[in-house]
Amino acid sequence: MGILEVRNLTKRFKAFEAVKEVSFTIEKGESYGLLGPNGAGKTTTIQMISGLFPPTSGTIEVGGIDMVGKPKRAQGLLGIVPQEIALYQSMSARENLIFWGKMYGLNGNHLQKRVNEVLGIIGLEDCAREKVETFSGGMKRRVNIGAAILHNPDLLIMDEPTVGIDPQSRTHILETVKRLNSEGMTIIYTSHYMEEVEYLCEKIGIMDHGQFITSGTITELRETIGDRSRIVMKFTQKPELERVIENPALAIRKEDLLLKDSELTIFHKDPQVVLSELIQSVTAAGAEITSVEIVEPNLESVFLHLTGRSLRD
Amino acid sequence: MRRVFSIAFLHFKTLFKTPSAIVLMFVMPIMFSLIFGGMGIGESSGNKAVVLIVASENEVNEKVVNLLSSNTQYTWREEEESAARELVKNQEAIAAVKIDDSIEESFGKSTTPFSMIVQRKTQEYMALSNFIEGLGSTLYQAYRFSPDTQTYILLLENLGEREAIEVSQSVIQKQASKSEAVGMMAIGFTIMFMMFGISGAASAILEERVGGTWQRLLTSPATKAQVMTGYLLSYFLMGAIQLAVLMIVMKGMYGSSWGRLTYFIPFAVLVIVTIVGFSLMMATIVKTRQQSSALSALVIVSTCMLGGVYWPIEIVPEFMQQIAKAVPQSWMITGFREIVSGSLHLPSILYATIVLLIFSIVFYGIGLKKIKYQ
Repeated sequence: MGILEVRNLTKRFKAFEAVKEVSFTIEKGESYGLLGPNGAGKTTTIQMISGLFPPTSGTIEVGGIDMVGKPKRAQGLLGIVPQEIALYQSMSARENLIFWGKMYGLNGNHLQKRVNEVLGIIGLEDCAREKVETFSGGMKRRVNIGAAILHNPDLLIMDEPTVGIDPQSRTHILETVKRLNSEGMTIIYTSHYMEEVEYLCEKIGIMDHGQFITSGTITELRETIGDRSRIVMKFTQKPELERVIENPALAIRKEDLLLKDSELTIFHKDPQVVLSELIQSVTAAGAEITSVEIVEPNLESVFLHLTGRSLRD
Repeated sequence: MRRVFSIAFLHFKTLFKTPSAIVLMFVMPIMFSLIFGGMGIGESSGNKAVVLIVASENEVNEKVVNLLSSNTQYTWREEEESAARELVKNQEAIAAVKIDDSIEESFGKSTTPFSMIVQRKTQEYMALSNFIEGLGSTLYQAYRFSPDTQTYILLLENLGEREAIEVSQSVIQKQASKSEAVGMMAIGFTIMFMMFGISGAASAILEERVGGTWQRLLTSPATKAQVMTGYLLSYFLMGAIQLAVLMIVMKGMYGSSWGRLTYFIPFAVLVIVTIVGFSLMMATIVKTRQQSSALSALVIVSTCMLGGVYWPIEIVPEFMQQIAKAVPQSWMITGFREIVSGSLHLPSILYATIVLLIFSIVFYGIGLKKIKYQ
């Protein structure tokens, strides 16, 4: 049995179905990425797993405990890093950590010891007594994570923990998460930054419009696009796609082409080989090319291939 | 319980880190009470209130002036009508009592022989008018039993000797003791600023919902009951400390008496519980903190006006006094006044207590039902 078992999870808000029949299992020690564009249903799924509100249907078990039936017992096993900076801004980092530690049942010397350890993990020992409101966005995000790991949770749920922060803090956070996972903490990491998910997670579930559209390891997901790169062309005038497809030297199928606004994406196994022929063909088809980019196979490509949309749309 | 105390302590600490909250909860009510209390004391400190008499010279009026002057609570002085009007206008006297030229004629026409010249209906004036009404009634009874003017004059002389009016005046004056008046003023302002302060603190729930700490608390192992108890306890402590500080300051400044503490403290607890319930309700019926501030200001100021927080409820028309019964502040003031004045009229205190309990049940019922846990 996994540390988290989600079965047929559905959430309806009146007529709107935010999450539809989502099922997945996370094993102990795994790092699981939940990827999807804004509005895909990731946060709603995470909030149900956290016990913030019950699902319309379906079941959630954390460490074998039913989240709907015994939410407070199940929540004790979780550490939750919300999307917002859920901290008391007029309090210091230390005061915040002490408070959240108490909410998870820590007290006395053990609490003080854990607060000191966590301040070390998040790299904020030197400014622990300063008010959170005086911190930069990145520092606040680090305290936000610290408050969730004080009680050494079995499962750490992180909902977009790097939104709106500087590259240095982002690197620190990603390294911290990687280290926690390597020390045995199970992690669910949601983001629409595919590079972060690729860096941190062994297994990935991709969501769109409230549904799981695919899941698996990074290798498995790349295989769904045949390990093909993307050629992204931008132009001022759209080409006639039929004329590009008709070129036998390119050997491109219609389903390998995605034309959106002034951008053409072509999935191809050997982009370097066909590039010059492709440029000629597209130019001949009436387009005025402004830029060409070759992107190695990644999760963005998988999402684009499956949905026809970019993760950041 | 650890979680409850941690939540209560955190919010309590947050309050004391907010200078504006301290100004609203402590500085403002103390300042208001000192300013208005000082004005009240200044009017009559040491000296008795001056009441003017405007009366034509005749034997009956002379006896009536004697009867008025027998009330030692006031300094009585005879003046011409124009001078009396000027003195009252300048607030050098609380009022002037004008006696009709012929009292017997007035009674014959079934009209009152007294007319009052007044600039401001203060608490002292209210006590005076009660006294004048009582005297008018006594004079009328004497008139009915007197067959002629000479007998009437004799009767009035006897009334003066028996000092029958002094007794009723002492009852009226019991409510108008200066230190009690200042104490009631301080309690009134404390109730108002407590409502503002606690409503402001309770509306923080709305901000916490936006900030995410509310959701974070709800997804921690702390139960909803623990979270709510922690919040409400912090608001209660804020109110209790606010009231205690005001009581100590007023005692130090004016020697205000708070009556028997065995009555005062339980009633004050009930008042704070009611205000916390009111604040919770206000925070849950709106969506944003801005809406909460605007609505709270409107509701608190208007109900405080209605409820006799700013001025004695007795000076407003009868129908307003009836409307006042629909706002909790009037019951808070009634209960406190009974306790502070030392009258300890138990039915009044009990009635106020029951009504406040009902208000509390309604406020908490609405607040806890409307609060969003998701």
